[in-house]
Amino acid sequence: MIETRALTKRFGSRAAVDSVDLTVPGGVAFGFLGPNGAGKTTMIRTLLGLTQPTSGDISLLGLPQPAKRSEALARVGAIVEEPRFHPHLTGRENLKIVAAARDRAAETRIPESLERVGLSQRANDRVKTYSLGMRQRLGIARCLIADPVLLILDEPMNGLDPAGILEMRHLIRAFVDEGRTVFLSSHLLDEVEKTCDQVAIVDQGRIVVQGGVEEIASSGDPTLLIEVDDDAAARRVLDGAAVETEGNALRVKLTPGRSAAEINRALVEAGIAVSRLEPARATLEEKFLEITSRLESNE
Amino acid sequence: MRLVRAEVLKLVRRRGLMAWSLILTIGVLVVVWTVLVVLHAVNSAHHGPAGGPSNFRGAADTLALLGTLTAVLIGATAGSQDVVNGVFRDLVVTGRKRTTLFNVRIPGAFIVWAPMMVVGFAVAIVASIVFAGDLPNPSSSDVGHELAYIFAIGVVNLFLAVGLAAIVSARIVIGVLIVWNIAISHILIAFHSLGGARKFIDVAAAEHFQPHVSSDQQVAMSTGAAIVILAVWAAVFAYAGRFWTNRRDA
Repeated sequence: MIETRALTKRFGSRAAVDSVDLTVPGGVAFGFLGPNGAGKTTMIRTLLGLTQPTSGDISLLGLPQPAKRSEALARVGAIVEEPRFHPHLTGRENLKIVAAARDRAAETRIPESLERVGLSQRANDRVKTYSLGMRQRLGIARCLIADPVLLILDEPMNGLDPAGILEMRHLIRAFVDEGRTVFLSSHLLDEVEKTCDQVAIVDQGRIVVQGGVEEIASSGDPTLLIEVDDDAAARRVLDGAAVETEGNALRVKLTPGRSAAEINRALVEAGIAVSRLEPARATLEEKFLEITSRLESNE
Repeated sequence: MRLVRAEVLKLVRRRGLMAWSLILTIGVLVVVWTVLVVLHAVNSAHHGPAGGPSNFRGAADTLALLGTLTAVLIGATAGSQDVVNGVFRDLVVTGRKRTTLFNVRIPGAFIVWAPMMVVGFAVAIVASIVFAGDLPNPSSSDVGHELAYIFAIGVVNLFLAVGLAAIVSARIVIGVLIVWNIAISHILIAFHSLGGARKFIDVAAAEHFQPHVSSDQQVAMSTGAAIVILAVWAAVFAYAGRFWTNRRDA
């Protein structure tokens, strides 16, 4: 769906996007994850032709950019930064404006797009009376009038309340279930983990890692969470192992010579009562922090 | 055509802009004629009939000035509103060419502006005939020349405003074009030492069509030259706006 090779966008001497090789397959929710200022929005703007790349190749829907820009973008819906509208027009009129720039069928999709995002009742109100959450939904409706194969959403959860975030997550998953591809940028690791199938972690314009969410999160040494009656004694027994305190539990890194069963036996034989012992599920957040802190320490 | 209709929609839904445009193009003429009619009715010895050629010319000149101002307001809004409201990038990501997105602004603005001018001009003709009393009606030559003048200066300013507003903010465009039209251009035209170079001023070219300007106030040129000069002004500013729209980051 999206493919870039050595894509670079420079502002003066600063590279906002630095030789990025990105491959986004079809039919998935793909998270483009990175801290603020990592280059996520610049990457999206470059993909969509809103700004010219300094160098590199882009392919959207298998079509080279910018040579086949019109053909590709006809089937792409995008929200770049916060969704913006003409505030003096109603929600429906704003969609008409964009539908006029798309194919003739786009205008006929307006009612169903508004229905899909739950804005039918407010469609004839001026957008200046809309909340941020409603504008986000109207932005999605604006994407849907293109009947897009690919949706590119820049920080779609920004400014949404918990109910709005949940709603957006369901909407994105529904798009994927329909066979559409969703490329979303976010700095909200938890949301990307819950919403996306695949992820690329970007930092300082470079892609640090990309792959399946589970695959990235579970890469590295597995760990155990253990709760015992005597932390100090347990630490002595586990001498040599990487042990960290996490709330009431100890997080122990497993190594080839030290399995969960062996740790349990050692603790019990030392007279330590073990009340909890479970594999710790590594989160994307931990992996992200691990990767970015590794990068910082390398600089 | 769908994009032009969208441009019209964006403009006509602006209540403030539409209200001011209607006041400037039609409202002022209605008020002025009401006053003239009342004055004539109250004291016909001191105030002649409200119609006739002289009042028609006065009304047409007023409409030319206020219609130009209206063209600037509408053109500047049409030229800038997509960018100002942050919607331009959403139009660009539809895959439409930026050139097309710019080009439709001019007919869109014209479709909104022209009917108001036609109605305003119709008010001037009808009132100057209905209230002419014992005065003659305005000649068809006067009507034709005034119509040509009003549309020439108005349309050129519409192009100027749309083109400039794609480059700088609408407020700056409105200020610059008002000052140019009512002050700077006339100061330059009054400099007789500039000689034939004055004909390249758009206002001078438009005034060529005015029927009642004395020869020492009007820069001599042929009708063909006036049309070419006005067309060049319109083309240059439209090109500049299109060029900038193509180059800018959306």
